[in-house]
Amino acid sequence: MIKDITIGQYYAVDSPIHRLDPRVKLVGTVLFIVSLFVAEGVFGYLAAAGALAFVIHMSRVPFRFMTRGLKSILIIMLISVSFNIFFTEGTPVADVLILRSMTWEGLEKAVYMAIRLIMLILGSTIMTLTTTPNALTDGLEKGLGFLKKLHVPVHELAMMMSIALRFIPILIEETDKIMKAQTARGADFESGGIIRRIKAMVPLLIPLFISAFRRAADLALAMEARCYHGDANRTKMKPLRYEHCDRGAYGCMAAYLVLILILKFVWKGWIAG
Amino acid sequence: MAITFEHVTYIYEPDAPVVQKVLDDISLTIPGNQFVGIIGHTGSGKSTLIQHMNGLIKPTEGTVKFHGEDIWQKDYPLRQLRSRVGLVFQYPEHQLFEENVFKDVCFGPKNQGLTQEEIEQRAKNALSMVGLDESFYKRSPFELSGGQKRRVAIAGVLAMNPEYLILDEPTAGLDPVGRDEILDQVSRLQKESGITVILVSHSMEDVARYAQRLIVVDDGHIRFDDTPRNVFRHREELEKLGLSAPQVTYLAAALKKRGFAMTEDVTTIREAKDAILQALSAERENRSGNGIQKKEQVKTDD
Repeated sequence: MIKDITIGQYYAVDSPIHRLDPRVKLVGTVLFIVSLFVAEGVFGYLAAAGALAFVIHMSRVPFRFMTRGLKSILIIMLISVSFNIFFTEGTPVADVLILRSMTWEGLEKAVYMAIRLIMLILGSTIMTLTTTPNALTDGLEKGLGFLKKLHVPVHELAMMMSIALRFIPILIEETDKIMKAQTARGADFESGGIIRRIKAMVPLLIPLFISAFRRAADLALAMEARCYHGDANRTKMKPLRYEHCDRGAYGCMAAYLVLILILKFVWKGWIAG
Repeated sequence: MAITFEHVTYIYEPDAPVVQKVLDDISLTIPGNQFVGIIGHTGSGKSTLIQHMNGLIKPTEGTVKFHGEDIWQKDYPLRQLRSRVGLVFQYPEHQLFEENVFKDVCFGPKNQGLTQEEIEQRAKNALSMVGLDESFYKRSPFELSGGQKRRVAIAGVLAMNPEYLILDEPTAGLDPVGRDEILDQVSRLQKESGITVILVSHSMEDVARYAQRLIVVDDGHIRFDDTPRNVFRHREELEKLGLSAPQVTYLAAALKKRGFAMTEDVTTIREAKDAILQALSAERENRSGNGIQKKEQVKTDD
């Protein structure tokens, strides 16, 4: 009954982007988002779009998977675009009806805004499509390791996150099982009004909670039995280590940032001159 | 009176690039008043098969009939079917939710829309069938032992008065005593009330001991469908399917190989005992015959 639910949206293929260290991808995504706000002028955005297209191509993920993420922000985008069009001061587009309140400056702003938003979503979608949630947690833990000096329990938070992620599919499976078992005893989850439906959830939710607690207790016991004691002196089975391609990727990012900056000043000079 | 499968095929994800047939063209009839065993290794399709029997899963192709009526035709009362074909899942104690044992057993009959009186009568009957007396009624199901919880869960399905009772590995994770108790009770129930029991099991011993008919499922197909004795004659084929014959069958075969004059055709401990005793007494007769001859020889040597 409940299937087809994937957590995160990891798309499993083997590609250079998939193989990158999760820290590289995290830093890369943040840098890309920053670059979108730094960039100015047609060429700056072209460069950003080019970089994005290159990474998408390298990732070997079909493009339609990227655009799924766009659907969810379509409404936000429409609202902000129309606000920009109508509420930016400047020269009106034309002197007829609604066009009177639209300005050329607003249009320009709206177009840039839309492009920025789309690329922002695509950029971060790429990361979640090519990195498993667990790798992402690992990357966050290592990447934010410096916060430990400020007594932020980074390791514990990362551990909690990965356990939670691990448990979601298990609980979904469990829900399916219990639903079937109660259906076999004549339970009806599908008909009736809201009150009846909520009441019908009781035979599902109570066993589900009990099983979640049982699993959590079992897991805690198993961790205890393996002498788990949190962060101190803990080693990893697959420690994150930068490889050649990771360094290469950092190099590309630096080059990209420099390019964006140069294009920005060139554009500014061009506009001024 | 029967559950009938006609060319039932079930595909897990019909849209997936590689179509995986969990059940492949299965035709099967299970008449009333039988004790049927189903064996097959993990992932063979047993669980999918039994979930077709009470309409929890809809076949991709083919029809499932109950008493001659297609259960997936429009307006067929599926909920009523589920009370007539009771299904006890693996680890059924995980479905308990009420504050006390009695209320939990009442859940099934309550969903059938009976009167309060009938509901309570059914629950009492069901609980006594699984051997739980009144001292359990007001106890929380969560403070019982594993075996007791499981009996409460089975009673929860029995309380719906099903004509068919399907049990998916009812003894998994129980100790030997709990296992024998549950199976003995189910077997007695089957004989006394004439319902059909379908027992899915990993234990060859259990199906050999209780089932009248044994269905072997492998890779979505039915490989054997015969009496346990006949099925267990195909030892090598069963082993190829990742299954086996009961241990006593191997014992009998080994003894025969060592020269005991006995049949390999045993499937239960009782049969094995009889066969071994018979072989031993035959042996003794032989030996005492030899002994007399030897004595005579000794005499002549004198």
